[in-house]
Formats: sequence, C-alpha cells, structure tokens
Amino acid sequence: MTTPPSKIWPKMTGWEEFHFLTDLVLEHSSGDHTSLTLYDQHGGTTRFANNQIVQNVDTRRGSLALTVAFGRRHGTATTTDFTAGAVQETLKRAERIARVSPEDPEYLPPVGPKQYLSLPTNRPETAAAGPTRRLEYAREAVSQCKMENLNSAGTVSSSVTAAGVAANTGLLAYEERTEARFSLTVQADDATGWAAAAHRSIDHLKIQERTLTAIEKAKRGADEPKELEAGRYTVILEPAAVAGLLSGMLWMLDAKSFDKGTSPFVGKLGQRIIDRRLTLRNQPDHADLLGFGFTSDGLPVTESAWIEGGVLKQLMYDRFTARQHGIEPIATLESPCLSGERPAGARVSDLIRTTQRGILVTNFWYIRAVNPTDLTMTGMTRDGTFLVENGEIVTAVRNFRFHESPLRAFNQIDAFTTPAEAVTSETGKLLVPAMRVHNFNFSSVTRF
Amino acid sequence: MSAGTGYTEYDFGCLFFKTSYGMNTPQWDELAELALMRLRGAGVEYGDVRVMDSATQTIRGEDRRIAKIREGSDRGIGIRVLYRGAWGFAASSILSLEEIPRIADQAVEIAKGSASLAIEKVHLAHEPVHRDSIVTAHRVDPFTVPLEGKTDLLLEIMDYVHRQPGIVRSVASLWAQRDRKLFVSTEGSHIDYDLLAVQGDFSATGLHDGRFAARSFTTPHLRTGYELITGTNFLAEAPRVAAQAMEKVRAPVIEPGRYDLVLDPEHLSLTMHESCGHPSELDRALGYEANYAGTSFLTPDQRGSFRYGSGHVNLVADNTEPETLAATGYDDDGVACQKWDIVRDGVFVGYCTNREVAPKINEGRSRGSNRADSWSSVPIVRIANIGLEPGDVTLEELLSDVKCGLYIEGHGSYSIDQRRYNFQFGGDAFWLIENGRRTHMVRDVIYHGITPEFWNSCDGVADRSHRRRYGFITCGKGQPGQSGWMTHAASHARFRRVDVIQGQVPT
Repeated sequence: MTTPPSKIWPKMTGWEEFHFLTDLVLEHSSGDHTSLTLYDQHGGTTRFANNQIVQNVDTRRGSLALTVAFGRRHGTATTTDFTAGAVQETLKRAERIARVSPEDPEYLPPVGPKQYLSLPTNRPETAAAGPTRRLEYAREAVSQCKMENLNSAGTVSSSVTAAGVAANTGLLAYEERTEARFSLTVQADDATGWAAAAHRSIDHLKIQERTLTAIEKAKRGADEPKELEAGRYTVILEPAAVAGLLSGMLWMLDAKSFDKGTSPFVGKLGQRIIDRRLTLRNQPDHADLLGFGFTSDGLPVTESAWIEGGVLKQLMYDRFTARQHGIEPIATLESPCLSGERPAGARVSDLIRTTQRGILVTNFWYIRAVNPTDLTMTGMTRDGTFLVENGEIVTAVRNFRFHESPLRAFNQIDAFTTPAEAVTSETGKLLVPAMRVHNFNFSSVTRF
Repeated sequence: MSAGTGYTEYDFGCLFFKTSYGMNTPQWDELAELALMRLRGAGVEYGDVRVMDSATQTIRGEDRRIAKIREGSDRGIGIRVLYRGAWGFAASSILSLEEIPRIADQAVEIAKGSASLAIEKVHLAHEPVHRDSIVTAHRVDPFTVPLEGKTDLLLEIMDYVHRQPGIVRSVASLWAQRDRKLFVSTEGSHIDYDLLAVQGDFSATGLHDGRFAARSFTTPHLRTGYELITGTNFLAEAPRVAAQAMEKVRAPVIEPGRYDLVLDPEHLSLTMHESCGHPSELDRALGYEANYAGTSFLTPDQRGSFRYGSGHVNLVADNTEPETLAATGYDDDGVACQKWDIVRDGVFVGYCTNREVAPKINEGRSRGSNRADSWSSVPIVRIANIGLEPGDVTLEELLSDVKCGLYIEGHGSYSIDQRRYNFQFGGDAFWLIENGRRTHMVRDVIYHGITPEFWNSCDGVADRSHRRRYGFITCGKGQPGQSGWMTHAASHARFRRVDVIQGQVPT
C-alpha cells in the first residue's frame, strides 16, 4: 500500500507514446482524414456507508477512438486494447464503417494545429495518491462522524488521466489531468447533512472542514422536521442548489436547437435573461475550477463571456453550426463562474442574517426538465432544508419538490454572495454565489 | 475464448508498447486461473474474476442525416476479493500475464485497507458452484447485418417523419451490444457468457406557435437478435408518430385537478422502475447508497406487512424470463437468476438482493440481483426485471369506467425523492378521457404523488393480452456511477384521483 503508483501500475500513455501512436495510425490509414482521441485513466474510489468501507476500487482503463473519413463519409471505432494488432483492427473497422456510411452533409475535417492554454491540470500530489490516501481521508471523515455518534456515507476518489487528440491535419494535443473528489452524507436519525468537493489537487479537498459542515447540517435537522405547506417561498439557495438550477439552464444553450426553433432561448440571444447584476464567464485558468486545455474535438478552450449584466451573449456551437454562422473561435463552457455586482457578503450566513422568513436549501436532487419551451424544471430539496425566521435558522422542514424555471427564479433574486465552489452529484464543478430568491415555487412536500 | 487478434503487430518502436503490450494476448481461462491462483495464495476468503469484452454498435441519425456510426470494443478484467471480511477490487484494460498478478495483489491490498475500517465483517450467502455457458438465443446476429441496410432504414424513417408539415427535427437510432464474459470464483464457479441486446427508436419534434414538442417510438431493449428490428414496422409507425407530435404541440394545455389515470405499459415501466424498483433494492434500504442514489421507504421491518398498493397490485421480479435484460442466467455474484415476489396482493414482501446483503435480513440465499456494468465496475445490487402482473379486464373496460381522466403513453419528465416517496412524472403523449372514451390530446401534463398512496389508488390492471416489456440500460446508481440493465413488463393499469398539474411555471 505504500508503494508509489508508478511501481504498481504500468505507466500512463505519455506524450511520446501518444505521438508514436499517432504517427503510426496516420501512416497506416487510407482515409482522407483520420483522427485519434486518447483517454487513459487510472483512478479509484473508496466508498463508505454506515461508518465502514463498502466498496474500494482501483481501475486502469485506456481507451482510444479512431475516426476515419473518406470525403464526407465517416466512421468511428474504439478500443481499450492498445496492443498493436488491436489498434490495427480498430483502424480497419473505422475505415470499413466510413466506406459504407452515407455522406454526412454536416461533416467537417478535423481541426488543424492549434495553440492551447498551458494549464496546471496535472497535480503530482493527486497523481501520486492511491488507495492509501483515499482510505486515510475516508477514515478522517468517518472518525469525525463516529465521535459525534452519527452515521456517515460518502466517497473519496482520485484519478489521473492522459488525454490526447490528434489528426492528419497536423492537430496534436496532449494533456495530463488529475482530479480528486470527496462527498459525504451524514445521517442523524432521520436527518441528513451533506458536503462535497472536487479539485485538481487532492490537498484541496478540505476533508475536515467539509465533514464538519455536513455534521452541522445533520445535527440541525435531527429534531422532527416541521411540515410546511407547498407554495411560493423566499428561498436561500446555497451554491450547490444554485449550481443545479444553473446547470439545467446551461445544458439548453445548444445553438443548433436555437436555429431550429427548439430552444427555450429562441428570441433571447442579446436579451436580458437573468438578473442584470449577474455575469457568467468561462474561466479555464481559475485554480478552483476543473479547466483543461482542449476539447475532444481539439478546440482550444478560452476565457469567454456567456452572460453579461444578465444579457445572454453566447450559445454552445458545434463546429458545423459555428461555421454556418461564421463563428471563430468557438467559445467553450467547461469552467463556469457566475458572479455578480455588489454581493451581500461571502457566506450563506450573510444572507440568512438578513432574511425575515425563508427556506434555506442546501442542495437539489433529481433535477429534470419538465417543459423545454419555458425551461420549467423539477427536483427535490435534499440533505438540509430549514426554515429561517428573523435572521436565524429556527427548524428543519420536510423536503419540498420545486416546479420552477431558472429563467424565472434568476430574475427574482434579492441578494447574493460572492461565488463559491459548488459540485453536486448532478453537476460538474462551478463557481456560483448563494442566492436569496423570492416567490420560488414549491409544488409539493414529501414525508421527511 | 480467445482474446488474441491474430493481426501482424506494428513496430511502435517505443519501450512502452514493446514491454507492456507487445506480446501475444493470452487466453482468458489462462488469465483467470492465474488471478485465482494469486488470490488463493494470498489467503482470501473469497475472490472472483470477470474477464469481459463488450462490443457496441451505435448508429444515430439526426434531421435526415447519419450523424454517427460508432463501434466500440471495451475489454478488460476485474478482480474482486473478500479479505478479513472486507472488499477490495482492482481492474485493468491491460490483459497480460504481467498485469494480472499486479491487479490481483492490488485488490488484496485494497481489501486489507478496507478491513482496517470495518465494523461488521461481510459474510456471503451460500450459493452452489455453477459451471455453465450462457448464450443469447437469436436468429440474426446484429453485428453481421450490413451497415448500409441499417443506415438506409434510419434515413427512410426520418424522411417519413419530415413529410409531416410542422416537423422540424428528427432523431432515429439503432443500437446493439454483445458482451462476452468469463466469470470464475475461488469457490469453483466457471460461467462464460455470450450475450446480445438490441434496440431501435426514433422521435419527431414539431413546432407550433413558438412551442415545440416531441413524440417518440421505441422497440424494447431485448436480449435477442436483429430480428427485433426487422420484425418492427418502423415505416408504418413513422407517419403516426409525426402526426401525433403535431397534434401534441397544438393540443390544449391540461386543466390542473384530480384525474383518473390509465397508464400504458411503456409509461408504467418507468413508474414501476422509480417507485417500486429502486425502493426494493436492499442495499439502499440498508444505507449503502445514502450518499448518492438514496435510501428507501421500504425498510426491512416492513417486509411482509406494509401495504404498498391495492389488492390489484402484484409486482413480481423475474430474472428468468427469456429475452429480458436481467435474465443472464447468473448474476455477477455467480448466483443463478430467479423469480420472486416484491409485492403480493398489495403487500410488500421481497427485496432485490446480493450475496452480501441477503444474510442481513436473514435470507439464506441471494436473489441473484448483483450486477456490474462492465469489467471495470464492482457489482452492486440492481433492480430485477420487475413487472406488474396482469389483471383480468380489457383496456376498453378500464377506460369505460372513467368519467374524467387521462390516458398516458410513453416516457416524459421524471423525478423522485431519495427515499422514493414523492414522485413526479410526465409522459410522451396524453389524451383526455371523457365518459369512457379517449377524446383528444392535451399537453403539459404532469402528475405527482406519494408512492404508496399512488399504488393504493390502482383499481384495475388489464389482462395478459395487453402485456408489453420495456427495458432500461441507463439506470444510474453507485459511485463511481454505473448503468444498470433491466426489463419492466406491464399491462395497462388504472389509478383513481391522481393530482395533475401543468408542466409549465405557474404565473
């Protein structure tokens, strides 16, 4: 368990190996265009429940996707077998598919050579972390909960990934990316509290701090939760809850749907869609986001503005639609940061303190689109829902189901904090503020 | 089974490929035996090895073009061990004689770490040793069907869909997967598999007055051959689906209130999955999923007494029914597939279990519902093929007794809380039922409720002639996340006075 990972596992596909692989695949391909995508990951997860390990895994998976095109006919074959024969067979499969596939009017050759941001995506402390470090962190969280006589469930994970994309257009990009995650649900009788983190560096998971947060939430909810009627409430949405609503909105920014009239944003590009104080930017070089240098298409990620002063400035373009619109470069949104002018503070407590009556929501769960035309969504509150009165949390309340559109909710914002890290089981990692929102619609109540 | 390719190797000219990959790939049995020897030598209490090669073909058409043809090969080995009563698992996509001992040792070392944080030791329920070979019965191997015929079919479907005025988008796809797998265990089980699954679908999106709405058609996901696709008249369905997409987008919005619902088998497959399937997973009920998928309102103390539904509600898990997704002969514990009751005459009576959790409710044998979604995943308790047993009336009889109701087909929006009480469902198409007759479509229908209250409002299930099966291959659970596969069968069923709201933000 103390042996460094490099001695336990065959080394990851490095830059030189990917370069060799690229040259040889391209040399043997008969296609007009050939591209490769590498995704070679070594990682693991230690999972605990009822204060003990229930699952403890470590996996090495390398995968290679080869796309071949003859004119506008294209096909893709993938393999996890990097033996020479398997790579050759995969290339032949991609060629065979491409030869018989119909012409695709939207096909574009792979992009050519590009300049990419050089980002610190590979943190050695995470790459070196293995089962021992994950167990150590799990033990830390479980021990804190046991000391409080509480029940814990959660995960600690870490991984290193070699990502590469190359093509016979001269495209060649390679990057190593590390990622560490922690999530914890603390159970105090019928109540639960939750906290989560994700970072390139495993040193930044802040296990102790986040465990205390989850413990505090669970303990606050341990008394019998009060059942309130469904209806419209002032809500204080913690960053995780804001991330859930915002992510549901960002998924719908597809430009092709916009062109076809099947987007909730039809008629809204260049218009104000959310509170005028808010701005959404892509910030790939932010140290607390999971930025990377290039997309799977080989496109460089860039810093870009998506919403400025509440006004929608940008859509998500595939390469074909972007070309139709003459858009270059294509903006990406892998590192979103939502921030606002004149924040009311830096902490959720800054919003609680100034709330006369409202519902504090830790997180939303099982968020799904209900109506794609007006972006109505639904989901449940989870892991800490409380009534706030006169600036203080007074009691836990039973969880609500919301039935609301972020386009409406984000126009009913009264106050918000500075952006904070947010990651949930249903979102990527974002930086978003906590918000106080008026007239938020809860359509029903559950039994706990 | 051979994992060798037989192709001439490239000279990659680098240390990496020559040392780690530049060898003939050994036979699966050889690799598995090597792993077992290593585990036995380490003194594990239990160990199993899964070597697996999944071939997937996905063809996707969008808006009258073939957007993607992708064939995947996902191959690797997963080794799971129980050591000092705790689990360890390691897996790799590198199938070599050097790699196997390394991951076997890694699995043991990880289990030792798990044991250091153990409170209660894992004890596995007994299962006889099995030596068997499982092959999906089929007439036509989907991987031998020429691609041209498949792409022609999808293009023709989309062409038919777009003939309907007002249709602005279409999607059509075909999917097939073959899983070749070898399972061996330190107990002596040796099971090899050659499993197929096939499915096809399409959808049409209509635009009207600034609104848009989609209507879809799907075959079930079944373990069979390409005959599922050739036996489906997609081109006859396409004009109907396109016309109904336009009818749906033009339909009046539903008036909120309480309605009697008559739900079709495809719609019910999702309702059952979410509100019965997941709460009947024993690992959830015991807290294993508390940090992600959630727990369950069906706690062990309620087994045998809790009134889950009305007397019309009989929910049966059947992992033995041919062609269904969970009917794989054995699960990934090496336990034989079985048939058992989840809800009998409305009373909750049984769970989906594996060898680890079954003893915790004093059951002597696992139900055989432990499955992993690939070689790289550790098996976890999965929903079985849970189906609603047929009743004894016709669909017409169910409808005839409804004064003001809704007939709902297909899947739409769905969401449920983490204990599976509070749910909310949409659908793919909705018709108003007035005085026993389906009259016209309505749109933006959402119904919600509390699971046991909902199933207790069921007052009729149609007979076996109405029974249909629908499969799921994207059931999310576990950390890291895995996709579960299972089939849910039902006949139409009627539910009284269910709360219906509009699927739009109230103003």
